Amino acid sequence: MKLIAKKDVAAVVGTWSKTYSVLSPCMHASGDCVFDSFDAETFTLEYRKPPMPPKSSFLPQNETMFSVENGTFTPVIHHEKTLLFGIRACDLMGILQARSFYSRDMDDVYHRSHAEDTLIVVHACSWPQNETCFCTTVHSGPYAHEGFDIQLFDMGTDFLAEAGSDAGRAMIATEPFRDFDVEDAAERLSRVKHMAHNSIPIVSEVAEAMDILKGTGTNEGVWEHLGRKCITCGGCVYVCPTCTCFNVVDRVTADASGERMRTWDTCLYAGFTREASGHNPRSSQASRLRRRHEHKLLHYSQTDNRGALCGCVGCGRCSDYCPVHIGTLEVVKAIAEHIY
Amino acid sequence: MGEHAQNIYTLRPVTISRTLPQIADHRLFQLRLDNGCSWDEFGHQPGQFIEASIFGKGEAPISISSPPTRCDTLEICVRRAGKLTNALFEMGKGSRLHIRGPYGRGFPVDKLKGHKLLLVAGGLGLAPLRSLLLYVLDRRKEFDELILMYGTNNPDNVLFKYELLSFFDRDDIKYLYSVDRDDAGIWKQYVGVVTGLFDRTSLSPADTYAVLCGPPVMYRFVVDRLLKLGFAKDHIYMSLERMMKCGVGKCGHCAIGDKYCCTDGPVFNLTEVEHIKEAI
Repeated sequence: MKLIAKKDVAAVVGTWSKTYSVLSPCMHASGDCVFDSFDAETFTLEYRKPPMPPKSSFLPQNETMFSVENGTFTPVIHHEKTLLFGIRACDLMGILQARSFYSRDMDDVYHRSHAEDTLIVVHACSWPQNETCFCTTVHSGPYAHEGFDIQLFDMGTDFLAEAGSDAGRAMIATEPFRDFDVEDAAERLSRVKHMAHNSIPIVSEVAEAMDILKGTGTNEGVWEHLGRKCITCGGCVYVCPTCTCFNVVDRVTADASGERMRTWDTCLYAGFTREASGHNPRSSQASRLRRRHEHKLLHYSQTDNRGALCGCVGCGRCSDYCPVHIGTLEVVKAIAEHIY
Repeated sequence: MGEHAQNIYTLRPVTISRTLPQIADHRLFQLRLDNGCSWDEFGHQPGQFIEASIFGKGEAPISISSPPTRCDTLEICVRRAGKLTNALFEMGKGSRLHIRGPYGRGFPVDKLKGHKLLLVAGGLGLAPLRSLLLYVLDRRKEFDELILMYGTNNPDNVLFKYELLSFFDRDDIKYLYSVDRDDAGIWKQYVGVVTGLFDRTSLSPADTYAVLCGPPVMYRFVVDRLLKLGFAKDHIYMSLERMMKCGVGKCGHCAIGDKYCCTDGPVFNLTEVEHIKEAI
C-alpha cells in the first residue's frame, strides 16, 4: 500500500493525462461537478455524486458501429486509452455488471474494446454522498473489492492508494506515491472501511421488495399507481449505471452511405417493444415500469451481479432526478409497504 | 484485424434471387450468397431467424422459412408492415441487402425425432413453422405421424397455398385447414377458429409433441386446449414473437422476464415460459 498527499494528486493526474484521455471530476463555474476531460484549472477532489455515471465511457450515448459507403459496411471500433479518475465504488459495480452482461455468451466487441482501453481509479466513499445513497444495502460500496486499477481511501491530508492490477501497481510505484509501511497499516485501512460502511444507512425495503417479487409477486395496484405517475421521460434510465439497452439507427449522409449507430434506449418507452405489426406485448406504462424494476430486482442474472445483491447498484440517482419521485428507493418502499 | 471476425454484429451481403408473391402484402424472398455459395455453411436450423438489414432503414428480425435440408436458397416470408419490410418490397430480383445470423434457439429437432408431431400454425405463423414442416417432410422416415393444422382469417389469406394443396397427394401427412370467416362461401374445409380443428381429429397426447406458431391470442386458446387433452407442458413448443433488435441478447428489446427471446428463444416450451406473466 502507498500514500499520496492530496495536494499532489492533481499533478499526478496531470501527468497521466499525457498518456491517457483522463476523465476526472471538474468543478464548473455553475457549481456543478461533472466528470469531464482533465483540466488542471477545474480539477477538484471536493465533489459529491456526479449527476451522470461513467457508463458512457463504455457505452457512449451514440456510438458508430459501422461506417457505410455505397452499401458496404465497415466496422468502426474505437480505441482510445482512457483513465477514469475518482469514480465511486457503486459506479464501478455498474461498469462490472454491464461488462459481464455484454460479454456473456457472445462478446460485444464495442463494449470490450472500451473496457480493454480503460484504467479505473476508484475514490472510495468515506460517507454517503447524499441522502439517496444505499450502496451498502446492495453490496456495491462504499469501497470496491475488484475491477479497479487503483483505489484511493481518504486518510485526511493523504490518500491511501491500493493497487488492484499490475497497471495500477506500476502507476503508484514512483513518487509522489510513498510507502505506507507503518505497522498498523492494515488495521487503519480496515477502520476507515468500517467507518465508511457504517455511515451509510441500510434500506431494508430493498431486500423485502426483492422477496415479495420473488414470492407471490407484488400487488398489481403498485404498478398501476406508479405507472400512472411515470411521465416516461426516461431520466432514470439515462442516469442509471446498469441500464444498457440500446437502439440501432442509421444516419444517412448520402445515398447508401453514412453510419450505423447504436443509441441509448429504454424499456420505459412504448416503442421499445412495439412490433412492426403494431402489436405491443408491453402495452401499458405500468407494465413497462414493472419491467424496468423487475429486471434489476428479480430477473438480474446471477452471473452478472458480480457479488452485488441485484442489478441495482444503489447509487440513488434515479431517486435524485425522477421528476415525479418514483426512483428505485420509492418503488421498493411502495412494494415493501403494500401501500397500494 | 481479428476483431472483424469476432464482431457479433458483422453483416454479410446477399442477393435476392427471386420474389414470389403470396397473398396481399406477403411475399416470399429467395436469397442467395455471393459466388454461388451454398447455405450449408450458414448452419441454420428450423425455427431460427435472421436480422435483415437495409442501410437507411435499419434492421428487422425475420424468421427463416426454408429448412437446412434445402440449402440452395434461403427463403424468408415477409409481411409488408414496417420501415424495413416496406423497403424490401420495393426491391426485386438482383437487389442486394445484408443479413446477420442465424440467430436463436430453433425447434428442438433432435428431441422431436421418432415422435408424433402436431404442428399448429395461425396466419403468418406458418412462415417460421414451414422450416420445420419441410424439414420433417424431407426427412420423413425420422419422424412418426405428422399432423398439420393451419388457420387463417379468410380463404384469401392462405400462405404457401400450392404447397398446402400438394399435401392432398401425400398420405404421410394429415392436414386440417381452417378459416375464421368465409363470406364468399368458397371454403371447402372447416370454417371457424383453429381450435375447432381439434374436434376433427384424434390425437395421442402421450407420445406427441405439439409445435405452435401464430398470433399471441392463438397461443392462449391452443395451449389451453392441448393441456385439457393431456399434453405435457414440456411437449408443447411455441415460437414467440418479439421486437428483436440486435439478435444477440444485448439490446434488451426482446426480454421476457429473465429470458431473451432472441437467444433463449424464440422457441420455448410451455414449462419455460408459463410462469412469466407477459410471455403469452
